[in-house]
Amino acid sequence: MITFALFGAGRIGKMHAENLARRSDAKLLYVVDPKPEAARALAEPLGAKQATEEQAFGDPAVQAVLIASSTGSHADLSIAAAQAGKAIFCEKPVDLTLPKVEKCIAAVKKAKVPMFVGFNRRFDPSFRSLKQRLDDGAIGKVEQVIITNRDPGLPEMRFLATSGGLFLDFTIHDFDMARWLLGEEPVEVFARGAVLVDPRVKTEGNDIDTAMLMLRTASGKMCQISNTRRAVYGYDQRIEVFGSKGMLRAGNVTPTTVERSGGDGTCGDNPWPNFQTRYAAAYAAELSSFINSVERRKPSEVPPEDSRRVLLLCEAAQKSAITGKPIRVPKN
Amino acid sequence: MPEIAPLQIAQFGAGRIGQIHASNIAALKDARLRYVVDVNAAAAQKLAARYGAKVVSEREAFADREVGAVLIASSTDTHARLAIAAARAGKPIFCEKPIDLSLKKVDDCLAEVQKAGVPMFVGFNRRFDPSFSALKRRLDAGEVGAVEQVVITSRDPAPPPLAYLKVSGGMFRDMTIHDFDMARWLLGEEPVEVFAWGEALVDPKIAKAGDIDSAMLILRTASDKMCHINNSRRAVYGYDQRIEVFGARGLLRAENLGETTVEQFTARGTVSDRPLDFFLERYAEAYRIELASFVSALKQESEMPVGAHDGRRALVLAEAAIKSLKSGKAELIP
Repeated sequence: MITFALFGAGRIGKMHAENLARRSDAKLLYVVDPKPEAARALAEPLGAKQATEEQAFGDPAVQAVLIASSTGSHADLSIAAAQAGKAIFCEKPVDLTLPKVEKCIAAVKKAKVPMFVGFNRRFDPSFRSLKQRLDDGAIGKVEQVIITNRDPGLPEMRFLATSGGLFLDFTIHDFDMARWLLGEEPVEVFARGAVLVDPRVKTEGNDIDTAMLMLRTASGKMCQISNTRRAVYGYDQRIEVFGSKGMLRAGNVTPTTVERSGGDGTCGDNPWPNFQTRYAAAYAAELSSFINSVERRKPSEVPPEDSRRVLLLCEAAQKSAITGKPIRVPKN
Repeated sequence: MPEIAPLQIAQFGAGRIGQIHASNIAALKDARLRYVVDVNAAAAQKLAARYGAKVVSEREAFADREVGAVLIASSTDTHARLAIAAARAGKPIFCEKPIDLSLKKVDDCLAEVQKAGVPMFVGFNRRFDPSFSALKRRLDAGEVGAVEQVVITSRDPAPPPLAYLKVSGGMFRDMTIHDFDMARWLLGEEPVEVFAWGEALVDPKIAKAGDIDSAMLILRTASDKMCHINNSRRAVYGYDQRIEVFGARGLLRAENLGETTVEQFTARGTVSDRPLDFFLERYAEAYRIELASFVSALKQESEMPVGAHDGRRALVLAEAAIKSLKSGKAELIP
């Protein structure tokens, strides 16, 4: 049984709290949020209490923290948790800046606490099975990875302005998938971004809404990523890995498998509409992985070093999109 | 109503692709294979005999006033020369892709064709594939709104012989050229920039021959529409030919075709047919339709659906991609 303090009572925090509540091997003790009312509203129905940061970190009964607060607070909370000797589950990204991520990695290392970063897609049952088969040699050596990642609709403009930009906020998941599936660090990134969905993305959000990227590893494996903030047919999440002995694909997942055929053709369900529904199983499974690693003292499946590598890819992509040139990814 | 005399076609080349075209001509009511010309006399004779045509020399074929069109399906290095000769003889031209591997020779050819005022069709067969042409028609009808992203998957089942690779002009001119044509066609706008990475992952002998066997590219147009292309010379599961066009109001996809739609369900999983393997099978319909389109455009004196200019633009893209491969940078397209 692992006891938790949850930081953040927003959308993601609520989902994690509910996942914790369903488990017999975890117990939520506290919810911490800058809005105590929101924390209380989430905590009490689940048998937990609203608390301050100090109370949560100071209580020796708390074994682990789950950080699902706003991105800007992730690193500081992780460092405080490390210093308090708590195991850490941190939503992605650890931080938008490299120095803070590195500070966090150092604090976690020094405190010798386990830390897990919530790159949920690795825990999606289909993507996980694909990776397992890849590792089992089902298609020989990886040569090409194709990642399609399209959001159903634009977030609010004021969110965009503070998100860190498309690559840091959104493509970050694809960078993690790319590293994971290529099985080798990308050494170079080429990125092209555009504003095709809504001109306000540029004028109000100072961001882009559409992108295509390519990554390359030292041995010549390549990866293509396509992104957009608006796919009218739903949340488009697909992966294709091409290898020397075949190909593995994971297509979109739909709420039902019902198809209607009529005079106008055959029509099936659209993909699940958003990340909460599409990755519901992944969010539950990532929590299992974390709890399992803490209980059995096994290494974290997604250590903060992974978040750092992904951040380096984000930064290279940003530089590439601005300069129009491919950018080398730092080795260390 | 008097019957219109069938179009008399002189065909250059009796090889693999020539045999396909000859059989497609034979299947048309309004066209007839009149002559076959090939340096290999036996091959020419065999093909001509099958369709009631005659084997003649180049000179004879061009000189015959009854010849209403020439079909050039000979080896690549003869395309431009034959097209120029055809233009000078005033014959409409169906030319297999590519017109030539050198832009200079393509330009010379285009100048002669323009001067002679003869129609010229370039055999970018994929545009006539029933699925791809339906996708394009629906795109043009506005089904998915404005195009934003195009993703083209084009993987051969197995590398060609090294001897072929050495004279092929390299992967971008030989293989990706089809994808460049599809990209222009689907984007509906000229790409202004190309970025390409290529590797020899399949066979080190291909690297030794100075070529690549795996590639990924990004094309971009002036209005920021983008296109991803991925290529491999070896897909063990067959000829992988897929297209995806993402637009403001949806997505259009055309998937691989199997020989049949039969699926086998057993304890080990569900198995369906491999994609059709190789281009002669996968694009059999496309070859048939492109020839019919050529003949129909000639008869109706309408514009050629794929012209010499398209052949030239695809080569310009291939050359920019080769430049990008060497420079490691994105290259602007002239």
